[in-house]
Amino acid sequence: MTDVSLPQQRSAGFFGALAPGGARILFILAAIGVCLIFAFPVFWLMLTALRPASEVFYVQSGSTITIENFFEVLEQPIVLKALFNSFVIATLATILSLGITATSGYMLSRFKGVVPNTWFSLIYVFRCVPYVSWVLPLYFVTIKLGIFDTYWGLLLPHVAVHICFFSWIMKGFFDGIDPSMEYAAMIDGCSRWGAFIRVALPAALPGITALALLCWLYTWNEFLFALILTAHEVPILTVVMAQFVHEMGMEWHLMSATAVIALAPALLITIFGQKYVVRGLRI
Amino acid sequence: MTGVVLKNVQKKYGNVTAVVDFNLEIKDREFVVFVGPSGCGKSTTLRMIAGLEEITGGTISIGGQVVNDLQPKDRDIAMVFQNYALYQHMSVRDNLAFGLRNRKVPAATIDEAIARAARILSIEPLLNRRPRQLSGGQQQRVALGRCIVRNPKVFLFDEPLSNLDAQLRAQMRLEIKELRSRVPTTSIFVTHDQVEAMTLGDRIVVMKDGVMQQVGTPLELYRTPANRFVASFIGSPAMNFIDMAVAGDGDSFKLSGEGLTFRLPNRRFPKLGGSVGKHVRVGVRPQHLVLGAPSGDGQVGVTGKLMVTEQLGDEQILVLRVGGQDIRVAGVDPELDFSAGGEIETFTAIENLHLFEQADKEASLLRAA
Repeated sequence: MTDVSLPQQRSAGFFGALAPGGARILFILAAIGVCLIFAFPVFWLMLTALRPASEVFYVQSGSTITIENFFEVLEQPIVLKALFNSFVIATLATILSLGITATSGYMLSRFKGVVPNTWFSLIYVFRCVPYVSWVLPLYFVTIKLGIFDTYWGLLLPHVAVHICFFSWIMKGFFDGIDPSMEYAAMIDGCSRWGAFIRVALPAALPGITALALLCWLYTWNEFLFALILTAHEVPILTVVMAQFVHEMGMEWHLMSATAVIALAPALLITIFGQKYVVRGLRI
Repeated sequence: MTGVVLKNVQKKYGNVTAVVDFNLEIKDREFVVFVGPSGCGKSTTLRMIAGLEEITGGTISIGGQVVNDLQPKDRDIAMVFQNYALYQHMSVRDNLAFGLRNRKVPAATIDEAIARAARILSIEPLLNRRPRQLSGGQQQRVALGRCIVRNPKVFLFDEPLSNLDAQLRAQMRLEIKELRSRVPTTSIFVTHDQVEAMTLGDRIVVMKDGVMQQVGTPLELYRTPANRFVASFIGSPAMNFIDMAVAGDGDSFKLSGEGLTFRLPNRRFPKLGGSVGKHVRVGVRPQHLVLGAPSGDGQVGVTGKLMVTEQLGDEQILVLRVGGQDIRVAGVDPELDFSAGGEIETFTAIENLHLFEQADKEASLLRAA
């Protein structure tokens, strides 16, 4: 027991030995260090996106700044199409996934019996399977179903993955809501279904909002499914971005510009939606 | 007339029986309290009446209509929950209006009903707040308001006061009592607190392990408990029990145990005859033991060594060791000084004794069969 508590005492002594406020300064320095580690690649990416093609390898010494790269990528029809597709897929996946997981999470939280138990086991099993190992089977399944390289071919696998993961989170949200509120609603004139829609769902809304933002971002960022399950018909932004690497070399400046464009929604959500995400995941 | 009638009501969860053969007739405007320790089936019974729990067997009728297959919303009841169960995302006003809006009541009528309920419960200043911004007592008052705006046939209370602190609980108890005189609706109130049961109920139903133990007015339960469980559950401090052997002795019974001997005349305890040669449990309330020696046939003495005194200010409670048993004596003058370890003599009139058989039901040997 004493062995365990000894290092703690020593570290307290270490901070205690510092000048007043020393611990605080150390903490701030550490925070700055962590921020740099995460922010520097983004900064470098943005810098590269603003450099002409000839100067991308001399980012640190060159002085020419241009926004030409952005115009160049946005003039490519495939990038525009990919932007549109990514947006549609992310939005549809969010709506479908949350629609399904809200009811499925509610069922897992409130009902007992054969159906919820089977559903629970099914989700549990699929959750345990590594995400990467699904890709190849899904490729064959989508080919067989004739939905390879279509919206559905990408949307359904995404929704399936989300159902396995989000049903649990949703269950947690509903577990945190007192069921007697729904009983009160049922006595107040709602059906069982009405009590869910009108009382439980609004009460879980902060959590669901957070989940929606995360779900949208996740789908927008997703690369592996998009790479394997789509081709020329439905280009997806993350895949198109990677295609700036080709047999002629790498177009770092264009890739960076596309990446910066792709980064924008994530950045907006982080800045303006952070409040909801934090609040939602806390309930 | 809105009575509630429960006939042979049963509840089973798989093989576990939660409520056994529950029969009760609640009259119009009557206030009935279900009381018992947790897990005794009182809340389950209430939830079956509300329609939140399916009825395994028997029938429940409200106002003459069998409601077994009716949804909660169609039973015309209102319910107050232990944790208030207010709709957190709505203002107090919307909470009150929710049930009426669901029933498509005209807006003007709703406003009127809310104003009346808010006046009765003095929650007018809170109408535009959210439930989260209210104290526990205020929230429970809003929950009461949500019931009275609806003007239902029956009020159901599921331990509404147990989340409040002791002082607030006493105050809300008074408010519920006062509310009853203003809004006299048939009510069923579930609690595990015998004080709430005694103070609120017209009649009390004592339950244990899913079985109804006794139904009666507070005084009936206090004076003539049907079995040892009811005797120990009702009243505070709890009744004292002494294990004694019964012997027949001419025209009286001789009870002995824990170093005590009671002589009880035959004619006063006719049912005791069947227990001769067996053991019975003798019960006496702490309030009925008086300091001093017994005088005459009508009294019996209980003498023991003083273990502890509990000073309550307006009275003292003495704990005596009688044989191997602790016996409490309540209502002792707080000014008296006692030294622990001393012998204390007390007595009580034989009318105050309760006798219970030692069989599994521990039924009273005083009540007419």
